Amino acid sequence: MYHLALKMLLGDRAKYLMLVGGLTFATMLMTQQCGVFFGLLKWTTSHLSNMRAKLWVVDRKVEQANELKALRDTDVNRVRTVPGVAWAVPVYVTVQSAKLADGNFKPVMLVGLDNATLIGQPPVLLRGKLESVRLPNSVIVDELAVRRLSSGRAKPLDLGDTFELNDKEARIVGICRADKHFFGYPYVYSTYTQALQFAPKQRKMLSLILAEPAPGWSLDDAAAAIEAATGMKAYTEEKFFWATIWWYFKNTGIPIAFISTIALGFIVGMVISGQTFYAFVHENLRHLGALKAMGASNGLLVRMLLLQAFIVGFIGYGLGALLVVGFGRAAVARGEPPFMFPWQLPAATFCLVMSICALSAVLGIRKVVKVEPAIVFRG
Amino acid sequence: MSATPTNPPALAVHVRGVSKTFGTGETAVTALNGVDFTARQGELLMIVGPSGCGKTTLLSVIAGTLNFDCGELDVFGSPLHRLKPREITEFRKRHVGFIFQAFNLIPTLTCIENICVPLLIGGVSRRVAERKALALLDEVGLGSRGHERPTNLSGGQQQRIAIARALVHEPRLIICDEPTSALDKDTGAHIMDLLRNAARNPNRCVIVVTHDNRVFKYADRLTEMEDGRVQRVHDQGGNYDLSE
Repeated sequence: MYHLALKMLLGDRAKYLMLVGGLTFATMLMTQQCGVFFGLLKWTTSHLSNMRAKLWVVDRKVEQANELKALRDTDVNRVRTVPGVAWAVPVYVTVQSAKLADGNFKPVMLVGLDNATLIGQPPVLLRGKLESVRLPNSVIVDELAVRRLSSGRAKPLDLGDTFELNDKEARIVGICRADKHFFGYPYVYSTYTQALQFAPKQRKMLSLILAEPAPGWSLDDAAAAIEAATGMKAYTEEKFFWATIWWYFKNTGIPIAFISTIALGFIVGMVISGQTFYAFVHENLRHLGALKAMGASNGLLVRMLLLQAFIVGFIGYGLGALLVVGFGRAAVARGEPPFMFPWQLPAATFCLVMSICALSAVLGIRKVVKVEPAIVFRG
Repeated sequence: MSATPTNPPALAVHVRGVSKTFGTGETAVTALNGVDFTARQGELLMIVGPSGCGKTTLLSVIAGTLNFDCGELDVFGSPLHRLKPREITEFRKRHVGFIFQAFNLIPTLTCIENICVPLLIGGVSRRVAERKALALLDEVGLGSRGHERPTNLSGGQQQRIAIARALVHEPRLIICDEPTSALDKDTGAHIMDLLRNAARNPNRCVIVVTHDNRVFKYADRLTEMEDGRVQRVHDQGGNYDLSE
């Protein structure tokens, strides 16, 4: 009977297409919006993914990675003296203006790495040598910087080219790949000392300290020891990541906007598929009543309806997921809009779409279970 | 030399004192009021009467598709009044074939698939079901139309498909609700011929509810109903005068 159930569904082209279309739309909206939302949240933690360290020591009032408060230069030595710390290095992070060939200015995220170790270095160096960044006025820029800062030039910026960074000449010695910053700033890496020269002088310049626990010390114990000894805030990488994510959850309207759209996708999918499936069952009620009269049990009819609902669910989900994968590939290739597609996302969307199908089926099932087989004798 | 007395055919359906009321209180309508009724094996029996007299309600009760308030009902020896709903469903699946006024063929399925439905509900494999359906299609004269959808067929052809569907699982009781009322005279006659042939099986009984006096002549017996009761039973086949 199940193949006949499918033929009954597929035979009603208009409703079948409406059901599949509704579920495709719901899948696409929910998955794509979640992917963009996750991508955006990931951008908020780009400092962590671009610098990568086990312990992050910052001012004790700092709540998230994009809101750094300057420390004294001597603070790095205080951290180094804490038992349980294997090493600690200074990092300078600031937003500076880069002047373009056409006279325009673009903000860039300038990162000054420890002169000796270059800890916090770019995650993927595409061209050039990392050590070259120690040469005078040298910087390593990410791919976004190449695109942004090449405006007004005959050809894109390349190794050896120069541009103005806060009225000082910066020479490109490397091109790297880095995660994009939440505000869309390109990353420009230099040494700590040179970065201080690029930036205007301030009383306190140290942005944060990257550290690693000594052998035998857990991350949490080392962080606690740093906090106890220095009064600064020491985050493990994971805690800093989640502190940043939650800060954006609590302090911005971004989650509400995305969650509203995702909920809208669910509701629209539910309404379209629920209403269409209910109409399908309603229009076939006489036939379903005839099947009941011929001896089809409620159980058989329920299984037939569930099969119909879940088949359109699978097809709609598949099409929607394919469209999102296409969007995601384009987004990743272009570097924007933000997009992240962890396996949990399609899995969760699949569950949501199947719940839409189950709820839609329940509407029809209630009607079918209640219908008397004698309905077939009524005019 | 006197004729050898023969035993009357066994009863297929035996209804005793069955009543059915729809609704409650002031809006209650008594559709069946202590109906006594019999149908024999090997006969085509018609139930006739004015609109609202309870014909279709009685047919629904006999088919096991409608519960009744009181009375007893035996169909081929099975006491339906004592069976549980699941057992009644099982009984219908095995023993009852249906033919409806509006055909009730599923428009998105082909004719063969429509005919297969009772067999598939009964758990018969698709291959066997299709083989039996094809054989029955030939019997009703539509062997070449099996892969078409019912909507491509005329009313008479659709009713022949419905008859094939009603017979395909070889039920003992065939229930027909106004099978010719939507058809012209000649097509109706053809349909009644098919039903009469189906009733020639001595283990089967065909019960037809109809308004259509053009087909009364096909009945072996004819039961007249009025106001929820059986008024008369005409035992002779042929011309019935229902004017009295």
